[in-house]
Amino acid sequence: MLINKFLVKIIFSVLILSAATVQAGGVFPFKVQRVNLKNGFKAILIPIKGSGLVSYYTVVRTGSRDEWEPGKSGFAHFFEHMMFRGTDKYPLFDSVTTTIGADANAYTSDDLTVYHLNFAAEDLEKVMDLESDRFMNLNYKKDEFMTESGAVYGEYRKGITNPFEVLFEKFQDMAFDKHTYKHTTIGFEADIKDMPNQYDYSLTFYKRYYRPENCVLVITGDFDPESTAKMIEKYYSAWKPGYVAPKIEPEPVQTAPRERTVEYDGKTLPIVTIGYKCDAFDVKNKEYMAILPFADLAFGENSDLYRKLVLEEQKVQFIAGDAPMKRDPFPFMIYTRVKSESDIDYVISEIEATIEKYKTELIDPVKLEGLKKRMKYGFLMRLDSPEAVASSLPMYITLTGDITVIDEYFDALMSVTPEDIRNAVNHYFVKTGRNQVILKGN
Amino acid sequence: MKKSFLLLSFFVPVIFMTTNLFPVDKDRIVLLKTEEPVIHFKIWFNVGSKDDPKGKEGLAYLTAAMLNEGGTKNLTYSEIIDKLYPFAAGYRASVSKENTVYSGSVHKDNLNEYLEIFLDQLLNPGFREEDFNRLKQEAISFITTTLRYSSDEELGKAVLYNELYKNTPYGHLDAGSVSSLNSITLDDVKEFFITYYNRNNFILAIGGGYDDALIDKVWNTLEKLPDGKINPTKTVEPAAVSGLSVVIVEKKANATAISMGYPISILRSDPEWYPLALANSWLGEHRNSSSHLYQVIREARGLNYGDYSYIEYYPNGGWRSKPPVNVPLTKHLFEIWIRPVPNNAKHFALRAALREFTKLSVEGLKPDDFEITRKFLEKYVLHYAPDTDTRLGYALDDKFFGISAPGHLKKFRDKMGSVTLDEVNSAIKKYFNPENMVIVFITPDAEKLKNALVNNDASPIEYQTPKPNSVLEEDKEIINYKLKIKPENVKIVQVEELFN
Repeated sequence: MLINKFLVKIIFSVLILSAATVQAGGVFPFKVQRVNLKNGFKAILIPIKGSGLVSYYTVVRTGSRDEWEPGKSGFAHFFEHMMFRGTDKYPLFDSVTTTIGADANAYTSDDLTVYHLNFAAEDLEKVMDLESDRFMNLNYKKDEFMTESGAVYGEYRKGITNPFEVLFEKFQDMAFDKHTYKHTTIGFEADIKDMPNQYDYSLTFYKRYYRPENCVLVITGDFDPESTAKMIEKYYSAWKPGYVAPKIEPEPVQTAPRERTVEYDGKTLPIVTIGYKCDAFDVKNKEYMAILPFADLAFGENSDLYRKLVLEEQKVQFIAGDAPMKRDPFPFMIYTRVKSESDIDYVISEIEATIEKYKTELIDPVKLEGLKKRMKYGFLMRLDSPEAVASSLPMYITLTGDITVIDEYFDALMSVTPEDIRNAVNHYFVKTGRNQVILKGN
Repeated sequence: MKKSFLLLSFFVPVIFMTTNLFPVDKDRIVLLKTEEPVIHFKIWFNVGSKDDPKGKEGLAYLTAAMLNEGGTKNLTYSEIIDKLYPFAAGYRASVSKENTVYSGSVHKDNLNEYLEIFLDQLLNPGFREEDFNRLKQEAISFITTTLRYSSDEELGKAVLYNELYKNTPYGHLDAGSVSSLNSITLDDVKEFFITYYNRNNFILAIGGGYDDALIDKVWNTLEKLPDGKINPTKTVEPAAVSGLSVVIVEKKANATAISMGYPISILRSDPEWYPLALANSWLGEHRNSSSHLYQVIREARGLNYGDYSYIEYYPNGGWRSKPPVNVPLTKHLFEIWIRPVPNNAKHFALRAALREFTKLSVEGLKPDDFEITRKFLEKYVLHYAPDTDTRLGYALDDKFFGISAPGHLKKFRDKMGSVTLDEVNSAIKKYFNPENMVIVFITPDAEKLKNALVNNDASPIEYQTPKPNSVLEEDKEIINYKLKIKPENVKIVQVEELFN
């Protein structure tokens, strides 16, 4: 499964922002235990008693970002599909999960691939046997590989009727020259078409990235941590290290603004996307941390601009800002869907005027405090099942290798001031780093 | 914020009460107490898109939209956003065909301030002209751009539902049509609201870590809604589908979405529903590789991303992985959903799906498949309601269907422990009917497809990748699999003509 990128962005920004406000000394409201094996494999255990269910998330810190070789875009996602093709011990992965009524799936995004199962607590050892086995001993035949490429192409076809998918594809292609963020997670269509011919490469991909040092296991729910820790040692110790880092070229500094208009083959209201080059996730980067709340404060649903364009003038269907949370630098994005083509220039000028305004004016401190409170409650309210807890962690893990960063992240965000935000707006919103794509229907 | 809040006692066994804890009519209150720090509200009104007056389809939808984004008499919508913003809380009225559920969740730290707005929205809705015009335009834009053009799969389902339920109160989009939306006035909304959002016409559900005093407080406030009648539920009777009929929505597209089905005369309150659900799970458990249709069309042949079947209405299937709550019907449908296939494989994919469905209907389920699916569902159903909010949703649906304690999901699991193959096969015989279906295609080259369908032309399939002999042998049967489709039962419509 490929997560809809727009949704991922929204979900992820909510999560991250939400995490931001927990008080120093204990953001994350659960007891955490860790298992560290000699081969570099790490497990994060979060017992939550009472439900009779366990959630089991394996985070591979590899996503479409790691597809650095030409012609291989989309491969991380394709490989995610192949991970369900069985091993010598369990040739039919799906039939095992079916037998135990597990809910098993996976998703891929720019920076990560996540395999997740929810199941009855009594099946934990069976699942660990099954999961550890496919990460160590995956074995699929060439014809299975080729057939699965058809399903991936089907997934591409399913998605491409959505104008946002088209927009993301064109935006990233334009905004990046060297870095692998040039392509989206599903990949370029030409590369997807060529996937059936990439069997040998798929074996290389597995050997490089599906290694213990590059994967982190999260278990939440109804289990005993002591016996589970022993179980992890038993099932994962034989996994041989050997991770090979991808050779990702850094993106050169953008020196001139970029613009493009894209025609969408269908009817849609015009969608405008503006992205200013920003930084990678780094809790110690003061400008970066200060730009995160700006997305909501300047473009969110209680911002002055939202009120003006969505509610009062009713020029746009929606507007949203999205600050990047990625391993490498990515643009700060602003999206809006304009109701009438003749208003596109006006809406863009209003967005730019908002940015210019906050280069000199300070954000209302009451709004900033309100946002911090919102982050706290948003975070706490979401943790309403073992699965919800497990599913809220992969992004932190892929960015930093653990979840301890949640506390640091919160601390840093809580200390952001209106002055910090003004400095950050001046720092990031420069003309030479600007990218704009307008998508129009036909 | 106290850390101890979340040291999860959420999952203590759910206390499920419709008891005499308080003096009000217990039949209209559902409670689900847990120790989580969040409180969930759901207020179910007996009003849905079925109650839209003729020519004003979309009225229930617009009325709900005015609750969602229309503000109150005291506060504008943007003032409400401001007030609720720090709580990360909101509320929403969701319209389905039979019902509208007004719901919201809030952390208990913020309960009082939240509750005041949450209830005031129902008691004193703003109903401002400028909000009405904005929301009406949004509804029209949803039809003319989003539904028609942004997801062919959802479009295919919408066309199927309208076709199956035509000439019944279910036979239109919840959002209405472009012309019916245009004919709705703000006065229509006000009248609709007063008629149906009355104090006798709802069921209240509260879940999470609430204090018992809250129940009276909410109930007593809701008593201030205008007096009115209970809106009765009437069973909808769509015309039976006779033979195979086809709607081809012609549209420029690089892939073809297919949905098909027929109204089915069984509800989850019927004891035969559980055996039938087992058969359906084998044939097409939603978003699960255990689905047999998935195995045949995606797994063995790589034609698309997934293939599923349903014995209940399942809106927004593309956006969810587990069954929806609070979308009950008095007459559900059987549905097969084929996710987009290459245009040159559409006839083949239809044949493959109908052939499998027919085989199941004629031969019944095999003992091994029965046993695997039985075991699967016994545990898999646990994942249908992982949180309090969803469990409340199921409890409300139980009220609609008249399912008593311990409720549908528990009965479902329990039944999987005792169900027999005979029960399953007898339910299959009675309710699975592959000869009488409406089939919807979203695809280019409609006329060409029509000819191929009515002439039963062979639909050879070319794979880009090698396939095992077993698949190729089976393909020979699929390629020429006969479907009885008469020319007069094939309708071609242009996408621009839909929902006008």
